[in-house]
Amino acid sequence: MTDTATPIPSVIVADDDADIRTLVAMAVTRAGLDLIDELDDGDQAWEAIQSFHPDIVVLDVNMPGKTGLELARLVRADEALAGIRVILLSAGVDDHSRQAGIDAGADEYLTKPFSPKVLAAHLTEVAAHLGVRA
Amino acid sequence: MSAVTPAPWKRWANPAPVVKQLVTMGGFAIAMALTAVLPDLGFPNSRSLLIAVALLVIATALSAAVSVRAWHWRFEGVVWAIDVFAVFFLRTASDVHFSPLFFLPVLLVIPFAGRRGIQNVAYAVLGSFLTLVVPVLIWDFEPTDLAIGCFATLVVAIVGFVFYAITDSQRTGIEQLADHASKLERSERERAHAQRTLQGVWEAVTEQVIIATDFSGRIVSWNPGAERMLGISRHEVEYQRDILDFHLSSEIDGFHSLVESANRGIARAGEWTYVRGDGSSFPVQLTVTPRSDELGNTTGYLFVAIDMTEARAVAKLKDDFVGLISHELRTPLSSILGYLELLRDDDDVELSEAQLQYLSVAERNAHRLLRLVGDLLFTAQVESGTFSMEQRRIDLAEIVEASLETARPAAAAAGVTLASSFAAGAVVDGDAVRLSQAIDNLVSNAIKFTPGGGTVTVALDVSASEAVVEVQDTGMGIAASEMDKLFSRFFRATTATRNAVPGVGLGLTITKAIVTAHHGQMFVESEEGVGTSFSLSLPLARVAASVLA
Repeated sequence: MTDTATPIPSVIVADDDADIRTLVAMAVTRAGLDLIDELDDGDQAWEAIQSFHPDIVVLDVNMPGKTGLELARLVRADEALAGIRVILLSAGVDDHSRQAGIDAGADEYLTKPFSPKVLAAHLTEVAAHLGVRA
Repeated sequence: MSAVTPAPWKRWANPAPVVKQLVTMGGFAIAMALTAVLPDLGFPNSRSLLIAVALLVIATALSAAVSVRAWHWRFEGVVWAIDVFAVFFLRTASDVHFSPLFFLPVLLVIPFAGRRGIQNVAYAVLGSFLTLVVPVLIWDFEPTDLAIGCFATLVVAIVGFVFYAITDSQRTGIEQLADHASKLERSERERAHAQRTLQGVWEAVTEQVIIATDFSGRIVSWNPGAERMLGISRHEVEYQRDILDFHLSSEIDGFHSLVESANRGIARAGEWTYVRGDGSSFPVQLTVTPRSDELGNTTGYLFVAIDMTEARAVAKLKDDFVGLISHELRTPLSSILGYLELLRDDDDVELSEAQLQYLSVAERNAHRLLRLVGDLLFTAQVESGTFSMEQRRIDLAEIVEASLETARPAAAAAGVTLASSFAAGAVVDGDAVRLSQAIDNLVSNAIKFTPGGGTVTVALDVSASEAVVEVQDTGMGIAASEMDKLFSRFFRATTATRNAVPGVGLGLTITKAIVTAHHGQMFVESEEGVGTSFSLSLPLARVAASVLA
């Protein structure tokens, strides 16, 4: 969300696995960021991204509707959303999957399983580079 | 094809007994006629004359009988012997010592001496002696008569021998000719058989496309497989269409790009796309080889293509399956490990020692499951050829040291002593993560298979061209009969199952795949009950090798 009234970067999380979604949400909270929405499919996530213009999105690569890769491309293709940082979460650990994520425009590509602590650290790092104090 | 038949030659070289008998009969008749008509000659001994004629008739009848079958020709010697006696009695029927009957033995000798075998010349001379000399001995004779008879026998013997030599030479030549003709006939039969077999194979191949072209790519042969898979009959294609008409044009940069490997003498299989008569397309694996004529001159190319549609579908299915395993196992593991971590790090709840111990067990097993998923994924990547590495220059000593450090807690827990030795300069080009994985596998295996009180020794040696890591244990060893299966997927040695050593049989498969990908080799020596030694050798990085040299 680009509301300059609040200094806390906003985050949207999208993952079809509720347990993972909760885990990511906890990492977002631990990083001191503002979790503005949690979605379980790509189409809803796209609507939320367009509506809320978050600072950071954490997207599962494989989910119903639009995939994380498709969402990353859509975000990168939209000038109004260009400032959004994209973190992809994927079970694909091979180089090909990783490269596909980077090519789609992801700022970070994290593989499952991930440590909530490590994810929180990544979120803090990404938020720091937004130029906004977390 | 009708071959040159040796039969006429054989008939000429060895006439039937009845034919030879005709010669004797002719001579017999002429001698009788001359004796009867010339003055001072005649047959005063009519009884001998009668016997001679009777013998001749018998010999002639017998010769006709034995001529019916070639197998009976062996009895022609009997015919000849009767003839000799017929001549003998004809001579004794005349009271003139040297009459026209004198030349009859020559007629007898010549055909008989011409038979195969030098002994027949001796028989012929004996016959001559019987007909020329013996009658003289019967009569009142002068020594001169005996000398003439003996001389005549000698002349007949010489003539017989010369005739034998000539016929034997001709017979050899004829037999060689017949032999060549026979070989030619056999060769022709074999060629025709091979032609029929080839045609049969050509017609039977319906699952592969086989197309023959000339140098320019014009199609000259189109097999039933091509008819079926490309949907066009050979009559519509042969000598009318070009091979490029059936390739996806965007893939091809001229005919030369298709036959480049074949022209360099390499039969390399490549992946291309064929276009059917109806415009649809399918992937093929295509091998192109030069095509030669019977003199060995290259006349064009042979294209053999296999439809890869199903193979690609299977490969995709496999990839999908691996992806599914990866996703469906790693995602729940994320939850398990993530929530365990949250539980351990929860500042609001103080966990007891026992609870922390339970958490450790759960985490350890979740990580074990994660490693298994990783191993399965890696094995699938190796099989599908999608296994990639990040190459950089690395010091193998650092990797071995790190592996030892990782293994030290497990070794201590198992009561196994870890020993090591390092040589300097083990610099190789490779993927540090993968090589660590390979060495970790060997070291952890050695610890798992070594009972408490044993020793695992890790040695790093460097030779002129390679670095060798040897991991030696004093463990339970491997049965000799299982050594060749050690690197197979999911293989577990009997000693491992018997001693309940945990594992699924992927570690050595993965280790070997990593070493092979680094152009290295793996070796293993083991004795059951004594221990095992695994070593891997890797080529030294080029610069490092030259420095060492």
